[in-house]
Amino acid sequence: MTNDLVLLADGPLINLDQLEATLGWTLKPQGLCRDDTCVLVPDRSALERDGAVDARAVARLLDRPAIVDDGSGVAAIGAPRELRRGALHDLHAPDFVLPDLDGTPHALSDHRSKKRLLVAFSSW
Amino acid sequence: MIAVAIDENVDNVRAFVDGITYPVLMDPQHLLTELYAISNVPTVLLIDEDDRIVQPNWNAYASDTFKEFTGVESADQLEIIRRWVVDGTPMMTADEAREAVGDLSADEEQARLHFRIATHLRDRGDEEGAARNFDRAAELAPHDWTIRRAMLPLRGGDPFGQTFLDLYAEFNAAGRPYHGVAPKRHL
Repeated sequence: MTNDLVLLADGPLINLDQLEATLGWTLKPQGLCRDDTCVLVPDRSALERDGAVDARAVARLLDRPAIVDDGSGVAAIGAPRELRRGALHDLHAPDFVLPDLDGTPHALSDHRSKKRLLVAFSSW
Repeated sequence: MIAVAIDENVDNVRAFVDGITYPVLMDPQHLLTELYAISNVPTVLLIDEDDRIVQPNWNAYASDTFKEFTGVESADQLEIIRRWVVDGTPMMTADEAREAVGDLSADEEQARLHFRIATHLRDRGDEEGAARNFDRAAELAPHDWTIRRAMLPLRGGDPFGQTFLDLYAEFNAAGRPYHGVAPKRHL
């Protein structure tokens, strides 16, 4: 199941024509855009080279953490930090979608307008 | 009631959910631990009808199964939950709730990404790459159970064995760091 808050890519470079499918954002003249929102790109030449962008540079602009594992080339981009800040400082519960044991997706927001007890547990 | 297993293996989780009727979700990539700054389980949050967190990360127990180990009485905690469900009385004020959970450090944030890469590489058979990223995650977040203990079964270790007890001693020596509200211990 895909979850655009947690991304893994086979390499730090994302082709521009794959950017929207991978991250949900597109590079436009006015900046990095998604729906009606655009983030200014201060140094476009540092972001884009030969039709590809560096996942770490994009993540930095979107205030998301990112790392690249040098050995395998796999890049990981984490969730926007503003979501966690919203939880900790504004006490607004960030929404998420995760599958149940049979693979059916559930969102926290499926149960909006109810009181919810959310418990993180584990088998370990 | 929504339960989220910070777990990679559905079969391991099934053993816990027999007869449970509320949603039990799988979070093999530990998204929740990043979104809510969760560093151990169980971590409970109470969220109201308007998506407002009235009780942030709370190390609460619904039974006394682990009481001898944790020193935590479930009865007090169940009463707090019951009161909130019945009449909306929260355990803490909004100002207290805002102060209750420390943000993840940059290292703890990165540890989560290394953990994700490690499980991804493990799934595709790159054991060396997985080990490299698990080790890095452990270095970056040495007292985070969702990193240190969660990786034990993925690396062929026993999450209830001597390695866990050694980690537990380290954790105690470090002052039991927890991102959230730890209950009063009776031990």
